[in-house]
Amino acid sequence: MTYTGLPASIETIRRVREDPHRLGHRAHGAAEPVPGAGHGETGPARKRIIVGYGFWIYLLSDIVLFSCFFAAFAVLREATAGGPTISQIVDLPRVAFETTALLLSSYTCMLSYAAMNARSRLWTQIFLLITGFLGLVFVLLELQEFIELAARGITPQLSGMLTSFFGLVGLHGLHVTLGGLWLATMLAQVQVKGFRPEIVHRLICFNLFWHALDIVWIGIFTIVYLIGSGA
Amino acid sequence: MFGKLDLSAIPFSEPIALITSVVVILIAVGVLILITVKGWWPYLWHEWITSVDHKRIGVMYCLLGVVMLIRGFADAIMMRTQQAVAINAPGYLSPEHYDQIFTAHGTIMILFGAMPLVLGFMNFLVPLQLGVRDVAFPTFNSVGFWLTASGALLINVSLFVGEFARTGWLPYPPLSETAYTPGVGVDYYLWAVQISGVGTLITGINIVTTVLKMRCPGMSYLRMPVFCWTALASCLLIVATFPVLTATLAMLTLDRYLGWHYFTNTAGGNPMMFVNLVWAWGHPEVYILVLPAFGIFSEVFSTFSGKPLFGYRSMVAATLFICIVSMMVWLHHFFTMGAGPAVNTFFGISSSIIAVGTGVKIYNWIFTMYGGRVRFEVPMLWSMGFIFTFIIGGLTGVLLAIPPADFVTHNSMFLVAHFHNVIIGGVVFAVFAGLEFWFPKAFGFRLHEGWGKAAFWFAFIGFWVTFTPLYVLGLLGMTRRLQHINFEEWRPWLYISVIGVGILILGVISQATQLVVSIRDRQNLRDVTGDPWDGRSLEWATPSPPPFFNFAVMPDVEGEEAYWGIKLRAVETQQLSPEPTYEPIHMPVNSPVGFYTAFFTSVFGFAMVWYIWWLAILALVAAFAGFVVFAWRDVHEFEVPVEQVASVDRARRAARAALLDRLGTQEVLP
Amino acid sequence: MSHFESDPHLYTGVLDDREDHAPGDAPEESAGHWVRNANIGLGFSIVLTVASFLLAGSNAIYAPAIPVALIVLAIAQIGVHLVFFLHITTGPDNTNNVLALAFGTLVVFLIVIGSIWIMGNLSNNMMPMEQLMQMQR
Repeated sequence: MTYTGLPASIETIRRVREDPHRLGHRAHGAAEPVPGAGHGETGPARKRIIVGYGFWIYLLSDIVLFSCFFAAFAVLREATAGGPTISQIVDLPRVAFETTALLLSSYTCMLSYAAMNARSRLWTQIFLLITGFLGLVFVLLELQEFIELAARGITPQLSGMLTSFFGLVGLHGLHVTLGGLWLATMLAQVQVKGFRPEIVHRLICFNLFWHALDIVWIGIFTIVYLIGSGA
Repeated sequence: MFGKLDLSAIPFSEPIALITSVVVILIAVGVLILITVKGWWPYLWHEWITSVDHKRIGVMYCLLGVVMLIRGFADAIMMRTQQAVAINAPGYLSPEHYDQIFTAHGTIMILFGAMPLVLGFMNFLVPLQLGVRDVAFPTFNSVGFWLTASGALLINVSLFVGEFARTGWLPYPPLSETAYTPGVGVDYYLWAVQISGVGTLITGINIVTTVLKMRCPGMSYLRMPVFCWTALASCLLIVATFPVLTATLAMLTLDRYLGWHYFTNTAGGNPMMFVNLVWAWGHPEVYILVLPAFGIFSEVFSTFSGKPLFGYRSMVAATLFICIVSMMVWLHHFFTMGAGPAVNTFFGISSSIIAVGTGVKIYNWIFTMYGGRVRFEVPMLWSMGFIFTFIIGGLTGVLLAIPPADFVTHNSMFLVAHFHNVIIGGVVFAVFAGLEFWFPKAFGFRLHEGWGKAAFWFAFIGFWVTFTPLYVLGLLGMTRRLQHINFEEWRPWLYISVIGVGILILGVISQATQLVVSIRDRQNLRDVTGDPWDGRSLEWATPSPPPFFNFAVMPDVEGEEAYWGIKLRAVETQQLSPEPTYEPIHMPVNSPVGFYTAFFTSVFGFAMVWYIWWLAILALVAAFAGFVVFAWRDVHEFEVPVEQVASVDRARRAARAALLDRLGTQEVLP
Repeated sequence: MSHFESDPHLYTGVLDDREDHAPGDAPEESAGHWVRNANIGLGFSIVLTVASFLLAGSNAIYAPAIPVALIVLAIAQIGVHLVFFLHITTGPDNTNNVLALAFGTLVVFLIVIGSIWIMGNLSNNMMPMEQLMQMQR
């Protein structure tokens, strides 16, 4: 009882009231600042971190969305209902081109990010443009693939396998398309507004989004196309 | 031009639906006229509709949830009375109508009643309890709320225009495929749930980021109130599993709209995959609801026992344990579908194990009361009623988790009784405890105690009288969702259940009366101190209602139960901490983007339901354009001048000083 | 929001290395650092991708092992992306990011493996849908 300057009675009341039987309550040690903040000692994180982290959480949910379509593909892979099998619809050279386009776009996206950090508007814009162009190439290649398949009468309505194939690949294509729309908006914003904090935050998020799409594509070209081509 | 929409969509042949529609529309028009005549639009627009204040959004969520609870309760009354009068008789509801009612009841109660209430509490409380001024993304928060409201609107439009799904609250294929359900009912379900699901996801991301990245100085993880922990766990589950719902419903949508074959029973589709995927969301969903409820109870038990929560760390551990394990049990919803013994055993055991986490919590709450000075105020009554009710519900749950037992009770009234037992006993009781507990914080006056106690006892007794017979009926062999009944021996149990519904209606009337009486007597019930219950966490450090910036100066937390420490020091030293130096505060500006987006998603959903393609495209383009315009804004924040901050906080300090004097003269500690 | 926009550090984009980092972000670095990372990441990715495509069509290794090898390569490449493009590290400033990633990976794993296990089990135990439909006729 070394509590300072209080009558003993109040000290006792305080202790009893707080936890009469001292059950399951352990006092914390004095607050020691934990190195590396965000652990509560230094107050809220800064906007840049909050925005980046929030978008990171969104990306996780997006990956879970994709995982359901992957699971559906895995389950329906053999359900060809008399139609073509997966190895019959895979065109590996085109997939190689698509992969190249998307991988390079990830790279240029990274370069635009580096340019943004160096606050070079010109180079940011140039690399963003190249990223968007490569994304467009990717989407067009995928569109060409779908159109060719449809011309051969291979549509999602034919079998469960084709449904899950078009669903998974199409969902990724839709993401790239929406990413392209976002990219166009960002181009305009960077041009008009320059590197204001909120624009920088959005570029951080866009960078994350674009890389995540590439990561999903790694899963798709491996599981759907490469493994499928051997099946 | 209007797709499938024509005059035959108005339900002229269903008198009940038609009369309800007319009455609801008349009431809505009446309210709109009243607002216009009284000139309340500017106030509503500036203070509520475009508000990005987490407290306002939380209140709107709760309001939406309560309205939808009443709608769902009306469905419940119809179901119970139909079953009571349809014993060897047709009853008063046609099978088509009855099927829509039980589908709507489940969908509305879970997704548009319980979810908004739970999200509302998280929105309102998390920033206040963490000692910060808003959530991480205030504008997105508003978008999230309005998307949920948009979904709710769509589901209620189905009452007047067209029909609702007749498939049960989870539209199992192949019944829900176009071949067997060609109407618009399932489409209403799909778009309403998708739109509100996006809203829920936004809120989930928001709360996760807020809890992990925005806490006041000193608020380390193990100093956060348990409610914040449960909100974090619940929102992690939202982030992890709502995409699964989105994906599953998107697949069903593709099946229905484009003739794809994810879940059809032809051309290689697999209907069982829908069941698998939808429950991979569906089971975590019940923990999304009940974890924040556990958080509410934790706050109530410790406040009204005058003690810190027993076993705080074990409570946190149990919360995270439940968060993870809840994603490993989903198969217990379809033990009977035909998986082998290995799979059924695994999921049976994991389902039983999750009860361990809940058991830890129950003991912690009981030990919190032990040795405390328990005050039997209304929130405490709900919480104690919860312990009793939830234990029974949990025990029947463990019974159902045993695959052989489940084969007997699957899809029976026993199951219906079980999940009402845990959801009403867990979530609804928590919501009512929470509304009673935090109402003074939100509105500045307490609710009338007598009517609150009446509401509790009616609800508690009514619940047991309604649902105990359902347990019995389930064991007698009655399956769920029966439109009429051919077994005379079930009659007495069904009658008892209807009596229970009557008692529950008295409970609802008591709640409504409580609200009216409290508003009338608000001067007497006013909470001038900001701390009406002798609270322990930071929200009670603010005045009631809190200023829009919550805290004039961000608190500096030095231990668990942040506010309790501050209060104790003030009582011991008989003075408040010295006046801080005030600084101007930056707060986010209001934004109509949430309301605007939700308007167009509602239009989009309606157009998709009725195959009005041009309108759907138009609405999407408009929503996107709205977002771009919003992203173009230059002003994100406004400054609250230091004089305003200081005057608000000085008023708060004066109230605190008066409270301190009262405490000092009467007795040292009450 | 408030306190952040008024933050003096914000407009310079300077990050204090005692603080958490946003994913894909790092403490103040020169543009050269980012370019170097991008180059290394691209190099690894090209090697791994080319290896995947060559392996898929080759007879060089035992055929049933090819899918496993392809999945290993894919996981390696995802790792390369995370480290070099998304800047996920093991440092304390990254704890929250890594934890979130681990949680997401766990969820993906549960859903995909769980679904495959459950659905495989069901299709082993149950009559194929076509036969079931024929029986109902």
